[in-house]
Amino acid sequence: MKRQLLLRLCLTVLLWSAAAAAQSPFAPEVKGPLSQRVVAYQIDAKYDPPTHTVEGTETLTYHNLTGQPLDTFPFHLYLNAFQPKATWIHEAHRDGSFRTSSLATWKPEDYGANEVTSFEVVGMGDLTKQMKFISPDDGNPDDKTVFQVKLPQPVAPGQDVVFKIKFKATFPEVIARTGYKRTFLLAGQWFPKVGLWWHGQWNCHQFHALTEFFADFGTFDVNITLPKDYVIGASGVQVSDQDNGNGTKTVGFHAEDIHDFAWTADPNFKVINDTFDGSVGQVRIRLLSYDSHQRSWQPYMFCVKESMKRFDQWYGPYPYAQVTVVDPPHGAGEAGGMEYPTFFTGDSGWFIPKGFHFIDLVTEHEFGHQYWYGMVATNEFENAWLDEGINSYTEVKVLDSMYGEDASILNWLGAQLGERGEQRFNYLSAPDFDPLYRLSYRDMSMGSYGAISYGKTASLLLTLETIIGEQTLKNALHTYFMRYRFTHPTSEDFMRTVNEVAGQDLSWYWDQAVYGTQMLDYEVQRADSTPVRWFDENLKEKKGETEYETQVILHRKGDFIFPVEAVVKFDNGETTYVRWDGKERWARYVYRKKAQLESVAIDPDYRVRLDSDFLNNSHVTESQHGAVHKIATYWMFLTQFFAQMLSWLA
Amino acid sequence: MADEQKGVVAAGFSLLWRRQGVLWWVFVVNALCGALGAAPAAIRTAHALHHSLAGQKLSNGFDLGMFVELLRLPDVELMRYSTTSYIFAFVFFVFMLFVTGGILETYRQDRRLNTGDFFAASGAFFWRFVRLMLLSIIPFVIVGMIYQALSKAADKIGDRAIADQVGIFLGWGAMLIFLLLALWVRLWFDIAQVRAVAQNQRGMWRNLWKSWRITWHDSRHLFRIYFCISLVAWVTLVIGLVIWAHLPPTALPLTFLILELIVFAQLLTRLWQLASATTWYQRHAEMVPAEPVIDTTPHPVEIVETTPSPALDLPPEDPGPVLPAADA
Repeated sequence: MKRQLLLRLCLTVLLWSAAAAAQSPFAPEVKGPLSQRVVAYQIDAKYDPPTHTVEGTETLTYHNLTGQPLDTFPFHLYLNAFQPKATWIHEAHRDGSFRTSSLATWKPEDYGANEVTSFEVVGMGDLTKQMKFISPDDGNPDDKTVFQVKLPQPVAPGQDVVFKIKFKATFPEVIARTGYKRTFLLAGQWFPKVGLWWHGQWNCHQFHALTEFFADFGTFDVNITLPKDYVIGASGVQVSDQDNGNGTKTVGFHAEDIHDFAWTADPNFKVINDTFDGSVGQVRIRLLSYDSHQRSWQPYMFCVKESMKRFDQWYGPYPYAQVTVVDPPHGAGEAGGMEYPTFFTGDSGWFIPKGFHFIDLVTEHEFGHQYWYGMVATNEFENAWLDEGINSYTEVKVLDSMYGEDASILNWLGAQLGERGEQRFNYLSAPDFDPLYRLSYRDMSMGSYGAISYGKTASLLLTLETIIGEQTLKNALHTYFMRYRFTHPTSEDFMRTVNEVAGQDLSWYWDQAVYGTQMLDYEVQRADSTPVRWFDENLKEKKGETEYETQVILHRKGDFIFPVEAVVKFDNGETTYVRWDGKERWARYVYRKKAQLESVAIDPDYRVRLDSDFLNNSHVTESQHGAVHKIATYWMFLTQFFAQMLSWLA
Repeated sequence: MADEQKGVVAAGFSLLWRRQGVLWWVFVVNALCGALGAAPAAIRTAHALHHSLAGQKLSNGFDLGMFVELLRLPDVELMRYSTTSYIFAFVFFVFMLFVTGGILETYRQDRRLNTGDFFAASGAFFWRFVRLMLLSIIPFVIVGMIYQALSKAADKIGDRAIADQVGIFLGWGAMLIFLLLALWVRLWFDIAQVRAVAQNQRGMWRNLWKSWRITWHDSRHLFRIYFCISLVAWVTLVIGLVIWAHLPPTALPLTFLILELIVFAQLLTRLWQLASATTWYQRHAEMVPAEPVIDTTPHPVEIVETTPSPALDLPPEDPGPVLPAADA
């Protein structure tokens, strides 16, 4: 009997290995493991579309690599955030949040929930009654997004512990990266997920309105049972598809070296496949979209491939076998533009005018997360800038290289907007309430969180290019990615890497830009030329013959000290460059020439993106009318047009 | 019917063209209001950009990032000056309310009124038209409510549909219905204004009721007239914007010209509607010969041949009292 059992076990293992080899979750030239694989999840889930619920059984094997005995384990139950008294809802209502437009018409039937119906630890028995909700961040007794279990005996270092958890997930109507819309479902944050032991303690924050997630790398084997007519996509790769004969099917997915697992299903999905040939082999791109979005299919694929190409060349390889892209249906915008490992959602519609690179913007951003969130996997609760911000910077670089700096988002009806411009005015919308280093979930508001995590980081890295050079920063990001992928680095790890690659101590910059809230603003305070012999009553000024003294005063208006370059031009065609360290509040430059000043411009190419006011960066002697006339013309037209419309009522 | 409609539309345009002085005056006042509305913003922009190279980002293209910066900077705060634009738009609205009486009287008499006569006619009908305008709020609000309801229904249906076009097309359908209903209300009140001038009506409630009956009785014909002219307005707007979008960013004089032409076309079509309504009324509904509102001095007679009005089943009109110079 024992031999038979052993034989059967060996056979099963062999079969599984064969299946796994055939459906490797990695690109052809990649061999795992790529991470420490602290966790191994096996989940059997059954989706019931009418009630938008999933009932599941989760077997979680946790490898204690902390170096110390563990007897307490915290778990996330993210869907409980969508309850009226939860911290998430409280914060979203108070401070605003992304993806909460549906809160205005929020009804009890739209609430979400995660319920653990049974919690067992192999070898220790049923511990369901030991489960206790905790609120480590705000003490909210009504928040049920984190529970903790104390084991009767600790798990020794190096040992494994196996949890068997039965749970039920009730999805809300799409809100904050998860939920259903009609027949569509985006199942994100849907299963009980263990916290992460980080820097000597558990890091298991409550779900907050502003910030996202943080979890351990591991393996996922997930079987999802759902109606037969549903088309499904998920993290990892599909390894099985079995017809159950009762109108349902069970689809299996396998993933390695990822830290979360999301899936989507809709009977109306259309599947579009493509491939990308990367430096470690071919990657399959699987797009799930709708017939009504056919115009978006090509832009999606184009953007994914162009982004993959640039990330592969600039930062490092995409090691997985597949990336799944989901194009949510209309009305499900709050499920759009979200990243999960090897899986992300975009955003499109049936009609987007030519010149709007909106699909590219979202697609590139979410693909970029596959690197900074998916593989580098920084703590999004605490250091959102390391993911959202670095990703916003790389988004600027990729889109700039695709469409040009000035029109990478919009080039329509004579108006242009570049992604770097968008990131800059995002930053300037709330530039100095919170430093980047602050715990992100504690930022003042959604506006402040967005402004600094996305806009400020992108702008500060673009500004850093002026100090260390664009290529050096690219090299630094490459080193950072390759060195820290699958390891959860910190802010210090990032800054140290940039210092090291740049060969400079950039503490002066990080202190102001990351740890501080100083504003950077330089202006041309004075710029004029006067004849040297101004006192000579008989002086007749003659171009090219009269000698002038030109004075230029540069002024540092903000508290952020930053070296700047100014270009001084004279009317004889001569150009002089000035480099000022900005340490004093102002600097005077005097020139004696047989020429008068034509213009002075600090940072003439607008590379110092942290500068809060570009209008005062320059002074030109001759009046510039073009822009004023154009704005006056538009303004006059709008006033006239509005007036004639109003007069229609007369 | 189509020929007749064409005839009224053409005759309306012909009348508008013969009396084009009115159109030019209205355009000049509109442009003046536009210029005054834009002046503070232009001055403020000039203050910020005259000696800054940053303006090149707006003149050699139109960098939205730089424009947003201009709107947002505390030193500039351009949006603050939008209030002036609203004020001058309102001034133009009041101006149009005032001169509509003069315009309609010019069209009715189909001759050039001297300035005194024009403004006397304008003054004579001003308060009556103010009353009409206030009364028009009621049907416009009702039309607005219908639009809200249709729009909500479109959203609801669209929300349940798989394809997002459904909701969008239904939304557009709701918008079209709104525009057509609003156009009908405008038509009704235009006929009331024309009738008030033609019959020198004082009681606006009664006038409105009779105008409703006139408009309703021949609504298909009248609505086609208005719709055709509105179509011209919408098409010229779209063509104008397309041309504008394709102009080089530095071609400012041409941009100015195109934008002004767009506004001119909108004003032209509006006055064309009024001229057509007057023509139609004179041909079809004028039962009682109008007495002049203003006792004008004799003038060279322009013979306008009018076809005999087909008999409309309308109640007899009150000839109205002997007219004062103005009832303002």
